[in-house]
Amino acid sequence: MSPPRVFTARRAAFVGLCLLPGAVFVAVFTYYPVIRGAVIAFQRYNLFDLTSTPFVGLENFRAVLGEDRFWTALRNTGTWVVVSLFFQFFLGFGLALLLRRHFRGRGLYQAWVFFPWAMSGFLIGLLWRWMFNGQFGVINDLLLKAGVIDERVGFLATPGWAMTSVIVANIWYGVTFFAIMIMAALQSVPKELYEAAAVDGAARLRQFWHVTLPHIRPTLALIVLLRIIWILNFPDLIYAMTGGGPAGGTDIITTFLIQQVAGGDYGRAGAVGLLVLGLLLSFSVFYLNATRFERSR
Amino acid sequence: MKKPLLSVAAAAMLVLAGCGSGSSSSEIRLRLIESLTSPERTKLIKSLIAGFEKANPGVTVELISPPLDSADQKITQILQTKKDLDVLEVRDHTAKSFSNNGWLAELPTDTWPGWSDLTELARNKAVEVGGKAYLIPYGFYQRTLFYRTDFGMARPPTTWQELYEAGRRMTTGDRYGYAFRGGKGGADYAVMMISAYNGEALDPEKSFYLKDKRTIFSTPEAAQALDLFVKIFKEASPPDSVAWGFPEMVQGFTSGVTGMLIQDPEVIKTVEESGLANWSTAPIPKGPTGYAFQPVGYAGWGVTSFTRHQKEAVKLVQFLSEAEQSIAFAKGNSLIPISKQAQDDPQFSQGAWKAYLQAQQDPKQVTTIRPVDYPGWSQFTVDSDRDIQSLITGRTTVAEVLGKWDSFWADQAGKVS
Amino acid sequence: MRRLATAAKVVVLGAWLLVTLFPLYWIVVTSLKPQSEIFSLPLRYWPGEVTFEHYEELFSFADFGTYLANSLVVSLVAAAVVTVIGVLGGYTLARFSFPGRGAVMLAYLVTQMIPLFIALAPLYLLMSDLGLLNRLAGLMLVYVAMLVPFATIIMRGFYERVPVALEEAAQVDGASRLGAMVRVVIPVMLPGIAATFIFAFVQCWNELFLAITFIDSEDAKTIPVAMNSFITQYDIDWGSMAAATVVSVVPTLVLFAAIRRYIVEGLTAGAVKG
Repeated sequence: MSPPRVFTARRAAFVGLCLLPGAVFVAVFTYYPVIRGAVIAFQRYNLFDLTSTPFVGLENFRAVLGEDRFWTALRNTGTWVVVSLFFQFFLGFGLALLLRRHFRGRGLYQAWVFFPWAMSGFLIGLLWRWMFNGQFGVINDLLLKAGVIDERVGFLATPGWAMTSVIVANIWYGVTFFAIMIMAALQSVPKELYEAAAVDGAARLRQFWHVTLPHIRPTLALIVLLRIIWILNFPDLIYAMTGGGPAGGTDIITTFLIQQVAGGDYGRAGAVGLLVLGLLLSFSVFYLNATRFERSR
Repeated sequence: MKKPLLSVAAAAMLVLAGCGSGSSSSEIRLRLIESLTSPERTKLIKSLIAGFEKANPGVTVELISPPLDSADQKITQILQTKKDLDVLEVRDHTAKSFSNNGWLAELPTDTWPGWSDLTELARNKAVEVGGKAYLIPYGFYQRTLFYRTDFGMARPPTTWQELYEAGRRMTTGDRYGYAFRGGKGGADYAVMMISAYNGEALDPEKSFYLKDKRTIFSTPEAAQALDLFVKIFKEASPPDSVAWGFPEMVQGFTSGVTGMLIQDPEVIKTVEESGLANWSTAPIPKGPTGYAFQPVGYAGWGVTSFTRHQKEAVKLVQFLSEAEQSIAFAKGNSLIPISKQAQDDPQFSQGAWKAYLQAQQDPKQVTTIRPVDYPGWSQFTVDSDRDIQSLITGRTTVAEVLGKWDSFWADQAGKVS
Repeated sequence: MRRLATAAKVVVLGAWLLVTLFPLYWIVVTSLKPQSEIFSLPLRYWPGEVTFEHYEELFSFADFGTYLANSLVVSLVAAAVVTVIGVLGGYTLARFSFPGRGAVMLAYLVTQMIPLFIALAPLYLLMSDLGLLNRLAGLMLVYVAMLVPFATIIMRGFYERVPVALEEAAQVDGASRLGAMVRVVIPVMLPGIAATFIFAFVQCWNELFLAITFIDSEDAKTIPVAMNSFITQYDIDWGSMAAATVVSVVPTLVLFAAIRRYIVEGLTAGAVKG
């Protein structure tokens, strides 16, 4: 909580000086182009034909909403976010719980196991694209050896498998983030809360359920929200692995957006962008209300 | 006490500003951007540029090599700013839009001795758009069939039906018949088959239309062609190829995964260098009508209308288009050359190149002009590839795809008078 | 019972370590195989013949040294600037209530939801007008703008964990507000500051889409830009790709190892609260 204070001219100057540099950057290099981009959404604006760029009202939105691919991408986005999130969350939670108590070598273990966090989604995508390769991919080889499959599978080429493959890669990538975040949340639980109770097995479970979980619940809710926004806005991995293919099988809303940009149709790209933004904003408001995040502040 | 804070911020700003280095010599620096990027080709262009720099002291050339997939978008983006670009690679399907936007300068032809050394085809294509020389082609692309001679084929297939049958026989599980293109550019192959099936009725000058003005997608032959197209994918091609583009197709062939490949001449060099021994080439397969159609693809060098070094930029384009350099480029990149002098060059009539001679001499191997100057062309190239992917993955039907394409091009016909 | 639990824990942790490290192992192995072996069956889990040809190629043909240097300069400078801005901005947002505070917070939060791609075309024209295309400085500016909201919000979270009483005590001792901030608050917050810096660094180091939009000159390319050209090239050259991946991961690995402890302690707490 910020203490209530008199807002003097001197303070105003100080606040201004501290806040201004950042605000200027964001205004010039984020908001200005975003607003311009939003305006373009209402224009006919094709990179390969810029001789006339008239305003066309909601034409671009209509065109986008009328496309099957947009709806496919939207459905895929749902799958992509929900399945990735589910596994990332529970695996991350499990990892955090296992790493909660100190043991010998924990530091070293963390260093290695948290490492994917520092890699780029693009690189991870390439890495997994190579491993999922239908001919020389190591995953095919391992599954063949284990007898799970009888012949090589073109993972990234088969619509159903491709989605599974990108989600597997995404889970691998994201567990770390959740583990780090949840560990931090667990650490924020005051020790005094625990010391009251005895620690045999059953009691520990009860303790987790009645003490730990309620305490970190608001934090978890926020982590999950941040993650949903992030996964939804995260095309890098899919871009590197499949480019949204085959036949739009792994298109999510942001790879769909990239394709609009690549095709030179900035008008439609702007429309898709605004739709995504609207979706995320309304979802966030709904989510925050549902989880009563505000109460915890 | 505010000062240290301010100086930190100021220092940060200075560091930022200082990083924008600008070279400030009297030297002329040309920027050249290529489009059909590949590592080998980039090396080749660099060596040609080195020759130009040597012949023209005081001029340096900076080569920009954007990734193939997004290159034309990148070039368009730069052109849009009308800044910092002097020479560029113009392709057959970008020439129209670039010149319409006024981004290309007309190149002098009568004051340049090299002009008369170009083949007729090269001179025609140079002025194809707008009747003015907005580019000098550097070579031509035409597709040919590459096939393995050790995969149990007595002779290369001459029709698509034969290709399908041969491919199916070769497909064993570890090995496949045909390097199918299901990814970017895949629709091109579908169009190639549809054209061959339409046969004589097709209008080569406007190759998406028949002589009676209907579209080539409206006929029952088109449906037959596309049915076979799907069968070739399903029964004779690797499942992975649903997403294959140029690199994967070539790699599929050179690594021995597939026994047949239809590609541009530039692949000749790649295949030779891959160490593959038992392979040969043949003209592209025909339809049941006995005809095969394909466009002559081309690309060339152009000068921007806003260059600040017009004289040097033109000089560079002319240098690249002179016999010595253009033949070196065509050889290194294995393209059909633009120089008359290359006609005596044995390299372009031997080995894998024989198939091209064969195709040139066959009156039923017809070269066509695609409707690249229609307003919907670029949209079609994007959409049609996706339609093809949907088709081969069973998400749409032959009839739906053809219906869509037919109405699209019927509509386009009305937009061009 | 206890022992069994411990054993299970060791097994699970071991399995997860394997799952995490195997892809990294595989990329290293791929980078050490000769080209012919990469594309041959059966797969070998250790190169039959170890070669460094892919690494040599990176530094001879592709000029990877330049890309590496560019990435380092851009990431270090942008991360430093962002951290300074975050330290300042986060402080004001945590310690003052002033008109417009909510608006600034909201404006910063919303940036996290905006798909970058709708801004690309106008941003490209803006950068062109400012003469910042193909300049490392241009990339730095954009990266700073991209990361300011996150850094500010995260730092605000850290300040809120520092009791105001600490500062007030210092101010009573005669230090000014800024003096108190520098001498008392910042040392307490060092882990958070380090974590913010690392986070910003990693983001810049890995950023792809802005870089490929604004950079096409060879001498200004960053690593992701260079790597992007591997995938769309003629051949997907998995050997060079693997080598490039290994090389590009090393700096983050070093940094990560160096400040590992701050990541859990610092970064998280701020993000969680923010």
